[in-house]
Amino acid sequence: MFQITDIPRILPEILLLVLALLVLGSDIFERWSYTAASRLERVRASAQLSTIGLGLIFLITLVQSGYLYTLPVDAPSNFLTNILRNLQAGGPGQGVITGSFATDDLTMIARLTLIGAAFLTSMLCLDYHPASNPAEFYALIIFSTIGMCLLAGATELVMIFLAVEMTSIPLYILAGYFGDKRSSEAGIKYFLFGAMSSAVMLYGMSLAYGFAANALGGNSTANDLTQLSKIAELAGEGNSLLTLSMVMLIAGIGYKIAVVPFHGWSPDVYEGAPTPVTAFISTASKAAGFLVLFRLLTVAFPSLSGSAVFGEDLGGWTSIMAFLALLTLIVGNLAALPQQNAKRMLAYSSIAQAGFVLLGLVAWASPQQFDRDQGTIALVYYLVVYTLTNIGAFGGLAIVGMAVGGDDVRDLNGLAQRNLPLAVLLAVSVLSLAGIPPLAGFFAKFYVFMVGWQSGAWWLVIIALITTIISLYYYLRLLRAMFIEAPVSMEPVHAPVGMMTAVGVSVLGVLVIGIFPNLVLGIINRVQMVAGL
Amino acid sequence: MTRAIPLEAVLVVAAALFCIGLFGALSRRNLIGVLMGIELMLNSVNINLVAFWRYLEPRFITGPTFVIFVITVAAAEAAVGLAMIITIYRSWNTINADSVDSLKG
Repeated sequence: MFQITDIPRILPEILLLVLALLVLGSDIFERWSYTAASRLERVRASAQLSTIGLGLIFLITLVQSGYLYTLPVDAPSNFLTNILRNLQAGGPGQGVITGSFATDDLTMIARLTLIGAAFLTSMLCLDYHPASNPAEFYALIIFSTIGMCLLAGATELVMIFLAVEMTSIPLYILAGYFGDKRSSEAGIKYFLFGAMSSAVMLYGMSLAYGFAANALGGNSTANDLTQLSKIAELAGEGNSLLTLSMVMLIAGIGYKIAVVPFHGWSPDVYEGAPTPVTAFISTASKAAGFLVLFRLLTVAFPSLSGSAVFGEDLGGWTSIMAFLALLTLIVGNLAALPQQNAKRMLAYSSIAQAGFVLLGLVAWASPQQFDRDQGTIALVYYLVVYTLTNIGAFGGLAIVGMAVGGDDVRDLNGLAQRNLPLAVLLAVSVLSLAGIPPLAGFFAKFYVFMVGWQSGAWWLVIIALITTIISLYYYLRLLRAMFIEAPVSMEPVHAPVGMMTAVGVSVLGVLVIGIFPNLVLGIINRVQMVAGL
Repeated sequence: MTRAIPLEAVLVVAAALFCIGLFGALSRRNLIGVLMGIELMLNSVNINLVAFWRYLEPRFITGPTFVIFVITVAAAEAAVGLAMIITIYRSWNTINADSVDSLKG
């Protein structure tokens, strides 16, 4: 049952919804004409409103989560502590709301990551001028963020479906927002692949529903993941209907997280979409997709986890994950090598990064609960670090693309002489993606390798190591273009303050997390307590 | 309650519809044709859900609820898709999927 006390537990989503409607409404009150001056004013107003709003919601969520400061039980009661107490009453923990939405630590950390990503993205758009109706652009980013937050906590099939659609439909529009040849092509490709994948996912869901209905014999109904797991455990491993439904679900979500062989859309979409939108799609929507995949597999199908140890009988979803990770690592890293377009190169790089994240799921091949918990922590840690790093990298490219007018690798030539701070920020992001110590990317990679090794998938870790070394080639190509190649012109690259701040914040995050990994790990350690496990 | 049609028959129809839709979505060159294929896939899911509900647990409303959500979202998706096809037509002057190919490599 939904109780009135459940409302503070979904406070971040409610606030996001209010903000999105406010941003949409604010456009009406602005000067309504199509002169350049009034259009600029409208862009500024909606961009600033959504950036400030998202920043505030991030802070409120942070306070609510209690990760920085938890109010002691015996604190004296005054105005401030009463607010704090009521806010933190909706913090992580407690049961699942109406069986469909869990507000555990995993959801809370995901909310912080996703709202943070949306905040940085809208900051990147502060000086980026969207087309005719700017408020729609920012409101769509926020609507999509609501969908992602719901996706991270969804524990029921209907809820997962609705959250996936709520995440994706605004992103389709955003990818095609500019309406020119490249952008509209990116939008339609994203839309067609996405719609098809959600149809496949839905078919899998309908089979899972039928399976549960059949097993329960019409005496009770089940479509939430915890109950599915009990039924799946009774049915055992050899059930073909359940396996088929699981494979279809993996395929449907695999599209959202762009793992090979479901990655076909992603380089085109990343290249054609407006660059800040690319930053958002490649980080937040991928992170949310991974979290829902994690929840689906570990909560609903723990009995089908199988094994990924070389030489043993393969079976269950960890071997599917290991196989996908293998393909993703090899194809992603090799296809990035010959790319001339920097955005496209980073697109293949983020496909390859998805392969590393999958290693965190392969950890479930180990029967020990400790190894599985370590896998969860490594997965979430990698996602947080990857989100920060990739926003920095794509944000840097957005600045260069806006100033120079192109996003080929040769447009980066001599960036160090044209704008040194920007070149340094971009270089740190790229090095973190490559996994160079002491940056955050190194520790994240190290952690997933360790977890993968312990779970017995050592063959996969060796391949991941080799592809990491291969990947250095194309990451260093970007660095060479920026620092060694001669610039085309000596005209300085203009970097707007808002975009520069967004890139700066994400690079600062990468440095701090890299040097003091325990800051974030201490919080992420709590995700072991996933509701329903 | 006697049933003239077994559950399996309904499921086979749904599976066939799904495959026809998938084939249509993959093979049609016209973008509107692709969209129609996707709609067929979604409708086969609806048949599946309603059939499972009617034959296996008619006392609960989970199945029909799911179907109503699917129909609603499919409508939203079709609206966005058709709008995007109009954008494609405006900038490319064609809705043939093969000729929309500036991004590749």
